[in-house]
Amino acid sequence: MNPILCGIETEYGLWIEGRGPGEQIEDATEVVRSYPNPCYVGWDYRFESPRADMRGFSVEHLAVDPEDLKYDACKQLPPAHILRADRVLPDGSRFYNDHGHPEIATRECFSVDEAAQCDLDGEQVVLAAVQAYAARTGLNVKAYKNNTDFHGASYGTHESYLVPRSLEFAELFHAVTPMLVARQILTGAGKVGREHGSPCDFQLSQRADFFSEAANVETLFRRPVFNTRDEPHAEPEAWRRLHVISGDANRMQSCTRRKMFLIRLAIQLALIGEAPKWRLADPVRAFESVSKDAKFDFRVELDGNWTTAYEIIESYLSAAERFDLVSSEERPLLDKSRHLLSLLKSDYDTFSRHVDWAAKRNLVEMYREEEGLSWGDASLQAVDLAYADIDPAESLYQALVDSDQVEAASFSPPQFLSRGVVRAAAVSNWSSYLRQVSWRALTFEIDGQLKPVELRPDIAYPATLWEARNVNEFISLLEGVLSP
Amino acid sequence: MIQSDRLTRPGQPEPARKTGEDGGPNAPKLERPVAPNPLKDRLKKVDPDQAKKYRQRSGQ
Repeated sequence: MNPILCGIETEYGLWIEGRGPGEQIEDATEVVRSYPNPCYVGWDYRFESPRADMRGFSVEHLAVDPEDLKYDACKQLPPAHILRADRVLPDGSRFYNDHGHPEIATRECFSVDEAAQCDLDGEQVVLAAVQAYAARTGLNVKAYKNNTDFHGASYGTHESYLVPRSLEFAELFHAVTPMLVARQILTGAGKVGREHGSPCDFQLSQRADFFSEAANVETLFRRPVFNTRDEPHAEPEAWRRLHVISGDANRMQSCTRRKMFLIRLAIQLALIGEAPKWRLADPVRAFESVSKDAKFDFRVELDGNWTTAYEIIESYLSAAERFDLVSSEERPLLDKSRHLLSLLKSDYDTFSRHVDWAAKRNLVEMYREEEGLSWGDASLQAVDLAYADIDPAESLYQALVDSDQVEAASFSPPQFLSRGVVRAAAVSNWSSYLRQVSWRALTFEIDGQLKPVELRPDIAYPATLWEARNVNEFISLLEGVLSP
Repeated sequence: MIQSDRLTRPGQPEPARKTGEDGGPNAPKLERPVAPNPLKDRLKKVDPDQAKKYRQRSGQ
């Protein structure tokens, strides 16, 4: 079992005909509340600390996009509990509104396969909520799994990796940052044009335009390549959570899986002190230049030297093999990553079956040629958006799947059950006894007494938990696992 | 029964045929059905102004 628990959070773009950013927080709240299927309401916010920085301090407040402040300038915003909708899903994931965006945070998983599958299942949850909202209001509504509105606003797809606190910030930063910059060539979602920085027709990353610092705790404005938020959702003395904000929202399940696999590999190497020692001259500039390199050279400036994104990724793959870090589950992911590095140089058509940015680029190019458009035409960004549309009846990504031009999703059931699966069992079977749910704990009420149960993040839980005949047996089984 | 007319009447000369590039007959000119292309059909349905209309608040 790979002990690095992981999960993924995706904020969805929300478009409602006749509505705008000024009403988007209220609209996102209502969309989440429209979710028509069984779920649990009662999120426990006690353990949340987004202002804590893993370098050992907390900021007074997080920076806010000044453009967003304009939308609220003349408004009296209702209290937070009115503008907040939170649902715990029967698979242990969380569905809520993060300000103006419906968001799915998957349950924690020991396997990147499982995390990618939960992320994919999240699309159906958001779609069900959007369709229910549209049916109730009569409005035309669309949800996009992407990270930009092409007008300068970005929203995130974040990954979480639980790592021992003994791994210091500096080691983690130096091990992970080169991979954050390089992996976009195998995992980027692709974007038409740019919103900041140097001009381009098409780039690999949805997010590259929005980073201004190498490392900080911000997520809404002045975003960093490496986010230093220190909010472990577990015992803070023992754990820290690496919160990655520089990845894209992928439509291809295989890209979601690959982007998480590559970061876990970097963390595993950091844990044994064997991460490749790349020192990037400027991670922000490198991220942007790789994203916008139409020649596919993907050069990266180091302190006093140059390398390429190809070489950076290969160095991690080779090191993982050298130090025997590749499990049987991860072997195909490593082989595929290496194969794609080769295909990107030699066989772009085959490469584009497996990577979002290349599939999208082909699609946009086809449209551009058919319509006789220049790269500057705004309708190409509409094609980009349609790729991200999660409605299968409208989505261009789905049309590519249906015409067998990209690989289809696949799934194998998890071998090791995380605390996320325990949450799933509690919500599915014993929700009438639940009073609060968070990432790290469940609180039941039994015979008028509150019964909190803290869930350890680092153990595999038995499937027999699903077979408990009553809530007392469920809690008893759980306590037996937690205190053997 | 003898059908002498049929046997003795000279036949009408055949009209000159156009020949194909290889000297053989041409295929009849028919409207070929256009193969369905769901991807192109879906592309044609894209609202070209959707990105112009799409405005979001910043997220995390």
